[in-house]
Amino acid sequence: MGEMILQVSHLSKSFGSNTVLRDIDFTVEKGDVTSIIGASGSGKSTLLRCINLLETPTGGEIRYHDRLVNGRGVNASEYRSHVGMVFQSFNLFNNMTVLENCIVGQVKVLKKKKEEARENALSYLDRVGMAPYINARPRQISGGQKQRVAIARALAMGPEVLLFDEPTSALDPEMVGEVLNVMQSLAQDGMTMLVVTHEMAFARDVSSQVVYMNGGVICEQGTPQEIFGNPQKPETREFLSRFRENKV
Amino acid sequence: MNKFVQLSADIGKLWTNYSSGYLGGIRNTLILALIGTVIGCLIGFVCGVLNTIPHEKNDPPFKRFFLCLIRVIVRVYVEVFRGTPMVLQAVFLYYGLPYFTNNTVKWGSVWAAAIFVVSINTGAYMAESVRGGIISIDPGQTEGAKAIGMNHVQTMTSVILPQALRNIMPQIGNNFIINVKDTSVMFIIGFPDFFAAHRAAVGATYLYFPSATVEMAGYLTMTLIASFLLRYVEKRLDGDSSYELAEADMLTMPAGTYKHPDKGTPFDERSREYKEEE
Repeated sequence: MGEMILQVSHLSKSFGSNTVLRDIDFTVEKGDVTSIIGASGSGKSTLLRCINLLETPTGGEIRYHDRLVNGRGVNASEYRSHVGMVFQSFNLFNNMTVLENCIVGQVKVLKKKKEEARENALSYLDRVGMAPYINARPRQISGGQKQRVAIARALAMGPEVLLFDEPTSALDPEMVGEVLNVMQSLAQDGMTMLVVTHEMAFARDVSSQVVYMNGGVICEQGTPQEIFGNPQKPETREFLSRFRENKV
Repeated sequence: MNKFVQLSADIGKLWTNYSSGYLGGIRNTLILALIGTVIGCLIGFVCGVLNTIPHEKNDPPFKRFFLCLIRVIVRVYVEVFRGTPMVLQAVFLYYGLPYFTNNTVKWGSVWAAAIFVVSINTGAYMAESVRGGIISIDPGQTEGAKAIGMNHVQTMTSVILPQALRNIMPQIGNNFIINVKDTSVMFIIGFPDFFAAHRAAVGATYLYFPSATVEMAGYLTMTLIASFLLRYVEKRLDGDSSYELAEADMLTMPAGTYKHPDKGTPFDERSREYKEEE
């Protein structure tokens, strides 16, 4: 058993009268790679955004190292600097170069020295294979490259958990591979990750825990072997069979 | 045809006698317009930022009340100064201050009063432009900044405002050009601008049309140069359209020493383990 990092209990979220998440319970331990799968509109992204407090949960608790983070008087910025997030639409800062994107958070939030931040940023950009492009601006690079820079930007903050919100959904098919490769190598290095994805092969082969969501609730969760090999619920079976027909 | 000859002769006459007045006026006009626009933009930025501080339902009531109060104050300021003529604001403030304080507090100089009026007027226009500039930025930019732990001020100063600034550059340019022309109303409180030079010259010579010609040409020259410079600044803000690939290993120190933050860890891509994983 690893060290408990995130603990979500009875989490719910509604937008007005529309309940998007109901009674969500799950935990993330150090080194876990958790894939959250499910149909569009099942609440996967909302769950991830709640965990990063980009959406305020309407009920339930999120604990980070046993510390409540969604209550009043919690420094959300401080918490977010430990929990990295990679977005579907990259969200790189358009007014900065690739390198500056990876430096700014370290200097402003972590109060690192510029030199140190630069070196750190370079090493992570190198890791995602974007070191040659440090002087480019986000508008000048491709989607897959943007997403790799976004991963480097999140890593440069030294987060304990990385959240991925459909990181490959906005990419052309030929660029999906380069991003998944980076994520896979992160997983192998023991990074704790929480990935909302439609890439079933990734969920099956890379993750240590799979959460299947349906209609705002966690329908089934378990190891990839359990979920993909022997799904218990009819909804899970149906969802996965749709993917099999399309030959994942 | 000989009208034009006469016109050029009159202009020549005006120029020999009043050139220092005209040139000094141009200088004063440009200084006033520039300072007024810069301070006005700062006011506009502050108002725009204050106006876009997000507030949520579960914030403490004190914070929500305070934010509402700020919005009301900014709103009143914008409506009052955008909705009254600058020439009247100048008179109102220039004579109002001594009137209310029984002449104990006066404007130190006509410069201070003029800069104050122009700045505060520009600020009222810019507040709305800045607000528009801020809300035009993709919310993803804010989320990206929030996700790496930036607070509202850091998000604004590092990410949103630089991009908003680029988007409202045409508006800033507009305001500067408007200020170059509209500072001419400051003659009402005795400010020695370019238009005041015209009034001084025609008061003595009655050469209304020739002096107006000089003024027209002068103002047009100033505004044309201003638009040209603003275009240039906009281009600079866009940054290079091309970029250099960094070919050399950026982690190699110029002194020849080699330092690698991940040396000895699995993150070191030069380690054997890393290669095998690939």
